[in-house]
Amino acid sequence: MANSEFKDKIGQALGNSTLRGALGRFGEFYLTARAKVYEGYDFEILRDKVAETKAYAASHLDEMLDQFEQAATARGAKVFRANTGEDAKRYIAELALQNGVKGIVKSKSMASEEIHLNEDLIAQGINVQETDLGEWILQLCGQTPSHMVMPALHMTKEQVADVFTDHLGRLNDPDIAQLVKTARNELRAKFLEADMGISGANAAVAETGTLMLITNEGNARLTSTLPRIHVFLVGIEKLVPRFEDLEYILQTLPRSATAQAITSYVTMVTGPTPVYLPDGTIQDKEMHIVLMDNGRRAMYADEKFKKTFQCIRCASCLNVCPAYQLVGGHVYGHIYTGGIGTILTAFLNAEKFAENPQNLCLQCGKCAEVCPGKLDIPDMLLELRTRFATRKGLPMVQKFALDIVSNRSVFHALLRVAAKAQKPLTKGAPVIRHLPLFLSGLTEKRSLPAIAEVAFRETFKKLPQELPQGLEKPQGTIALYAGCLLDFVYPKIGEGVVKALNDKGYRVVFPEGQSCCGAPATYMGDVKNAKKSAMLNIEALSAETVDYVVSACPTCTHALKDSYKAMLSGDADWEVRAEVLSSKVIDFSKLLQELGGFELGGDGQGLNVTYHDSCHLKRKMGVYKEPRAHLNAIKGLNLIEMKESDRCCGFAGSYSIKFPEISAPILERKLQHIEDSQADVVAVDCPGCLLQIAGGLDQKGSKVKVMHTAEILLNYHSSK
Amino acid sequence: MLDPDELYWQFKERLNAVAGECYRIRTAQEAERFLAGLLQEKEVKDLVLVESPLTKAGNMIAEFESVGIRVYSESLREKAPVVGAGVTELNWAIAELGTMVQIGTDVNQRLASSLPPIHVALIQTSRLLPTLTETLKTLHSLPQIPGFVGLITGPSRTADIERVLTIGVHGPEQFVAIFVDEEAGEED
Repeated sequence: MANSEFKDKIGQALGNSTLRGALGRFGEFYLTARAKVYEGYDFEILRDKVAETKAYAASHLDEMLDQFEQAATARGAKVFRANTGEDAKRYIAELALQNGVKGIVKSKSMASEEIHLNEDLIAQGINVQETDLGEWILQLCGQTPSHMVMPALHMTKEQVADVFTDHLGRLNDPDIAQLVKTARNELRAKFLEADMGISGANAAVAETGTLMLITNEGNARLTSTLPRIHVFLVGIEKLVPRFEDLEYILQTLPRSATAQAITSYVTMVTGPTPVYLPDGTIQDKEMHIVLMDNGRRAMYADEKFKKTFQCIRCASCLNVCPAYQLVGGHVYGHIYTGGIGTILTAFLNAEKFAENPQNLCLQCGKCAEVCPGKLDIPDMLLELRTRFATRKGLPMVQKFALDIVSNRSVFHALLRVAAKAQKPLTKGAPVIRHLPLFLSGLTEKRSLPAIAEVAFRETFKKLPQELPQGLEKPQGTIALYAGCLLDFVYPKIGEGVVKALNDKGYRVVFPEGQSCCGAPATYMGDVKNAKKSAMLNIEALSAETVDYVVSACPTCTHALKDSYKAMLSGDADWEVRAEVLSSKVIDFSKLLQELGGFELGGDGQGLNVTYHDSCHLKRKMGVYKEPRAHLNAIKGLNLIEMKESDRCCGFAGSYSIKFPEISAPILERKLQHIEDSQADVVAVDCPGCLLQIAGGLDQKGSKVKVMHTAEILLNYHSSK
Repeated sequence: MLDPDELYWQFKERLNAVAGECYRIRTAQEAERFLAGLLQEKEVKDLVLVESPLTKAGNMIAEFESVGIRVYSESLREKAPVVGAGVTELNWAIAELGTMVQIGTDVNQRLASSLPPIHVALIQTSRLLPTLTETLKTLHSLPQIPGFVGLITGPSRTADIERVLTIGVHGPEQFVAIFVDEEAGEED
């Protein structure tokens, strides 16, 4: 759980309107611009290539390193292998000392930030200048980057002008063009004087010993042209096997990083090139390549984190992250920011620094969708979370809650009591608008639904289950897995599911032994309780032979279909049973489509509906066309697409309890898009999203209704 | 081989989209005259130039000097940081991206193209390649990968302050591509 110091940092970031404004504007620009710049290119094919290329290099790392070293050495470069950041720093510092280096210009290198290279060199009395504009600004004011590609994204032009004024001792106006010009002039002098250039590399080609640098400003060109010594500090994950493999990096990195087809400059350096010496003669420069491990091999050796070698550091995962967009990079506390940054920090700096920021992940999966290296960042963050929880245990309150949820009879009995006990809070309404004292954060920006008086498992017994006329016996049997929210809060959804499937000629059964799917435990890192839930449900759902197991909650569906298999793998008996269950589990919307789709015309009355995509449904199951098809089958229903329909609503299970201050503004943005769409109804396919969005709309006094697709279908069924 | 006209138009469209200027001229001599006029318009008083087949095809240096532009083709380390423009011939152009490819092993080629505020890039129209794939293949088919290969796409840019696009940081503020149709012979 996030500690109070971390919470304070979040509070400060959220209160910084400059930061919020800059991040928000960029986030909006980025998605459309990115989509446009990939037009005509098959992103899926490109990222397959990136992943394949980098995975190959990683799995043949020693061979690649040897090959690179041989090729680069043959061309006249000196290659040094640094196991740790300290080794790298020592090598570079000694090199500078031996060559009487007084001035160093640096082109952007996250690897050098990672090991705090500047400090050591400056301590040695060397003038070290960052030359990337953003990095230079940060160097002048002693800050760390808040974004991997746009390091000073969090600052305004006024702040930059103040920094320049302080540094140069003369007034600088907050005029961006003028500030850039000033930087050009100031740094130009440094470039011309420098004895040594230090840069990173975006890729290193094993076959040819080539290093590739991607920049827009032109500082890498100057760094590799003017000083007599050039040091490349390169993480060992930067290797690609062949020269032609650079294409995949070049076609994805600029597009994903800044929505550019290509940056202004791409520089490929293979061995030393001639340089002017101070006496005016021309001679080959000294070129040093430091290949740095510093925790990277350990990251690769860890089965769950292997794919980090496929990362090309484009930071597109930050650009689409709803949490990052609100809090910015500094909350993450280290050099690497965002979700990927948290993972890198854990391995390249120290694991303890990842403990707080890993909590920021909503598990919405948007980053995995856009990642050119095909990294499943949310999955890796969840793995970190699980490791922390396993090692240190969960806080008492969370542990207690999860123990209860995983114990079916106790949990269900409690819910029955709660349904009665909540009366004073609901005041007879279907929602709770205020909670007392310490729980008030939960109802600050959204109301909470009341627990249904009669749970779905009771209602179910009385449902008529009428098959279509003329059908003598059912086409088959479907087990309905309800999940907690549907069972105890939104039983109407269950009725809709049963009706729709009856219409397709199927009989629905409700296995009584079913219990919480275990997702709350999974997402808090509590493996023990998650497994317990998995086994309970596998037992319950395999009691009867059925054709399908259907769920109308995508989080439950994902748990039943994917998570159980993963968490029980290695346990011979349970693994097989999880596999059998998985093969039958299907989301309601998808199943309905497979069985022929929704056919009941509707009443032709005009109804404006907008659709919100649930994270788990769209990104874990790839289902987004199906529910829209069902809605479009209703006569008179007008489906309007809202802006960013697949952006997380901020519920994310327990996240809205852990971070109500982040969840609330994410919800706010969703509500804005909903209202802008001018729809009467928001259709959702996830009871969690329903709870979150309905609570937000209620608190705002909005007239827009939220309904699960199954409920909407039920309405049209009843009116038939 | 694809139609050079088509490749050129594709190239020009891409380069223009990133604030680069692009012209196509029939002969080397016409190019010299055109360029002399263009540089006068841009109020360039002096420039650095790296001699190449295209600059030698006519007599580019003489042409520029005749309109009063001072040309330096030596001591570029001193001159490149202070003159108004740099003129160099580049090796290939990639239609797909509006990108020019520079073999910059020669230090003067690098200085003249990266330090002055204007970079004029000369190229033979026949050096147009359709794609990046083709370009990397071409580079790899050389006896060895050149020590320095620069891909240049428009002027230097940054968006590091408030995400506002600003042209001209460390590299040239203006990038001018001049395609010459007439063959001026191979570089030695």
